[in-house]
Amino acid sequence: MRLFSKILQVGLATEPLPLGGDDVVRLLHEVDARTRRLFGRALAIREVDAGSCNGCELEITGLMSPVYDSERFGVHFVASPRHADLLLVTGPVTRNMAVPLVKTYEATPAPKLVVAVGDCARTCGVFKGSYAVAGSVDQIIPVDAFVDGCPPEPAAILQGILAAIGRR
Amino acid sequence: MTLLFGLMLAGYAFGAAVAVLSPGGGPARRLVAMGAVVGAGAGLGLALEVFTTGVPFVLEVPTLLSVADGLAFRLDALGAFFLGLVGLVAIPCGIYGVGYSEAYEGRYSLRLLGAMLNLFLLTMSLVPCAANVLTFLLMWEGMSITSYFLVLTETDEPDTILAGGWYLAMTHAGLALVLAAFLLLAAGATTTAFGDLRAGAAALSPAARNAVFLLALLGFGSKAGIIPLHVWLPRAHPAAPSHVSALMSGVMIKLGVYGLLRVGLDLLGGGPAWWGALLIGLGALSAVVGVLYALMENDLKRLLAYSSVENIGLVFIGLGAGFLFLSLGVTAAAPLALAAALYHALNHAAFKGLLFLGAGSVFHATHTRDMNQLGGLIRGLPWTAACFLIGSLAIAGLPPLNGFVSEWLLFQSLLPGIGSSVLLVAPLLTLAVGILALTGGLAAAGFVKAFGITFLAIPRSPAADRAHEAPLSMRVGMAILAVACTGLGLAAILLLPPLAASLHGSLGLPESALRFTSGVSLSMPGDFAQMSPTLVALGLVLTTGGIWLGVRVLAVGQRLRVSETWGCGRVVQTPRMEYTSTAFAEPLRRVFAELYRPTQDLSIDFHPASKYFVQSIEYRSEIVPWFERYLYAPFVQCLYRWARPVRAIQSGSAHTYLAYLVAALLGLLVLLLVQGI
Repeated sequence: MRLFSKILQVGLATEPLPLGGDDVVRLLHEVDARTRRLFGRALAIREVDAGSCNGCELEITGLMSPVYDSERFGVHFVASPRHADLLLVTGPVTRNMAVPLVKTYEATPAPKLVVAVGDCARTCGVFKGSYAVAGSVDQIIPVDAFVDGCPPEPAAILQGILAAIGRR
Repeated sequence: MTLLFGLMLAGYAFGAAVAVLSPGGGPARRLVAMGAVVGAGAGLGLALEVFTTGVPFVLEVPTLLSVADGLAFRLDALGAFFLGLVGLVAIPCGIYGVGYSEAYEGRYSLRLLGAMLNLFLLTMSLVPCAANVLTFLLMWEGMSITSYFLVLTETDEPDTILAGGWYLAMTHAGLALVLAAFLLLAAGATTTAFGDLRAGAAALSPAARNAVFLLALLGFGSKAGIIPLHVWLPRAHPAAPSHVSALMSGVMIKLGVYGLLRVGLDLLGGGPAWWGALLIGLGALSAVVGVLYALMENDLKRLLAYSSVENIGLVFIGLGAGFLFLSLGVTAAAPLALAAALYHALNHAAFKGLLFLGAGSVFHATHTRDMNQLGGLIRGLPWTAACFLIGSLAIAGLPPLNGFVSEWLLFQSLLPGIGSSVLLVAPLLTLAVGILALTGGLAAAGFVKAFGITFLAIPRSPAADRAHEAPLSMRVGMAILAVACTGLGLAAILLLPPLAASLHGSLGLPESALRFTSGVSLSMPGDFAQMSPTLVALGLVLTTGGIWLGVRVLAVGQRLRVSETWGCGRVVQTPRMEYTSTAFAEPLRRVFAELYRPTQDLSIDFHPASKYFVQSIEYRSEIVPWFERYLYAPFVQCLYRWARPVRAIQSGSAHTYLAYLVAALLGLLVLLLVQGI
């Protein structure tokens, strides 16, 4: 009962996308259509945090939020690389995460795509040169597409995914 | 027939004599085993002859122990079935014992083990042959005492003595009840021969008949291990040497079933409907609770022991249905239910014997029965793993093995009764069918655990890593039973109709309508249902073969990539990350938390500087043993309280005891003198 009264009290809390909402929907439709062509099914994503400051994770979470709700187009996150078609890797790769990242890449069934999200993933950002950093993502595993930004918007991440699919 | 009977006695006697007289060593172990195998083989032959010809074997020695009608043997088809069951398991166990007892050389008394094993087999073979009360009780007690000594073989293990004590107490309580049942029966008869008891039983009052049945049910039930009389099984089976566990669990507990059939159905000739209902209720309780406790066990042999409780429960459901249908006059279904129960007893003997031998081979290789210390044994012990897998598949009731056939039969024999209009019969049988289904599913889960945790993945301890395959004799023992499991499944159509027919002959039951159509399938009365183990097996082989071929064809030209198991990206994978036996059973522990009432105890040791650094974590979870705590513990405490006053006169000195004897004698003499005046 408290649940229902809470629902009534709060009402609709989501806001429409400030601008370009239709663009996002178009983008998601395109991601879905091209994934189906490539893999024959909806896109399954495994997110790997290789040492990020979690800024990129916030934006990636945005993809699943009620605003973007990418899952309605089949773009969904899975709990194991064994189930994944695409890896979203964030952050500079720290020494501790270098081996797990390689293992995750190996555990993902082919054909697989890798999208490096955020400036750190490409250049190591402000962490560059740190004793704890092993290198950028493309120094550890092959990368299909980079997404720039610190952090990038969810729409930009979608474009990065599209770019990665487009390379195949 | 007399020749075979004599050969059986001679074989066992030879084995026992060699064990006592020989100095030990390899040849002696082989000779002892040869005696057992010859005896068991002769017993099996005798059983087959009686079973196929239908002519009972009779032998009477009235002069021996003439005080109570002497020794008398009569082996009819029912007895022959159980004698055959003894032989079927005793032969592989005898062979297996040669290799298994080698590790005992110099540690434990092989003389005692060999002699007691042969005497145990001898008395066990003679129980179903007995034709009067004296012979029956003598053999029954012999079987109990010799198996008690066999349980005590590994004297230096801490739990052995206690396990033996529990077993001795339970079996003798059972003996007292059986004795009481026979005395009540004999009250109405001229002699104690079974034939006279049968004739006299008809004249007994209903109350006396009920009392006899209840006493026999409790007495034989304590041997069979039905709940709540099962407490000795999970203690005695792990303590005994594995081939003895196989015999006790595979064969001896079945003789409890034999005793109940002999007294309840043969001598008393069946009874009111509530007898059957009681049997079904006890059977259903044993089946469900037995398998639920089996699921929670981490000790491989204790798991098997609880699974025996479950299977004896299934047999009792079949027996109960037989009793119930007889009293209700559903004559077509009664022999079917009894045949299903007996066939399940036979199948259980085969697969549980096999599983105990497999567990013994695991223990032989690793010296542990704790499944959380095992794992990965399929690499070191491929033969044992294959045999254990066959046993597990059979006990889980998967086609085409024998467990599937008898559980199918049990289902089919219960279903006709559901249409009964008698009050409460339909709900009872529906419940029994539901329990059967639940038990089957849980048993499958239990044996996925037993096989998976023990044989698959990577070894969890150095002992499991170094495990070596069992010697030839042990592998042969297991292989025989594995073949028997498969054979009893595939050849069920050849075995079941004669079994049902023999019940008609020996118990005076109505003709069974079980028949087989076109030589490949079993057909229920009135074409209610039919099933063909052979065709099912053929279908399975074709399907799996087809899938294998299909994968091969599709995989042509594809690259095969071998990589390590996904371990969440951990740098090193250790056995500690594996699924444990406890963890596997955890979901069921939650579902059935009402029964288990698990207690959990989590203690974490933090580093003194910060609680973010954990030094050690200890987790312990135990389940409440209901029957021990609420049924047996108060009784044992009461016993101790009553026994305390007796301690005052118990000094431990032989002299004092002699003085007590003299005093008692004098007292009796004085009493006699006073009475005489």
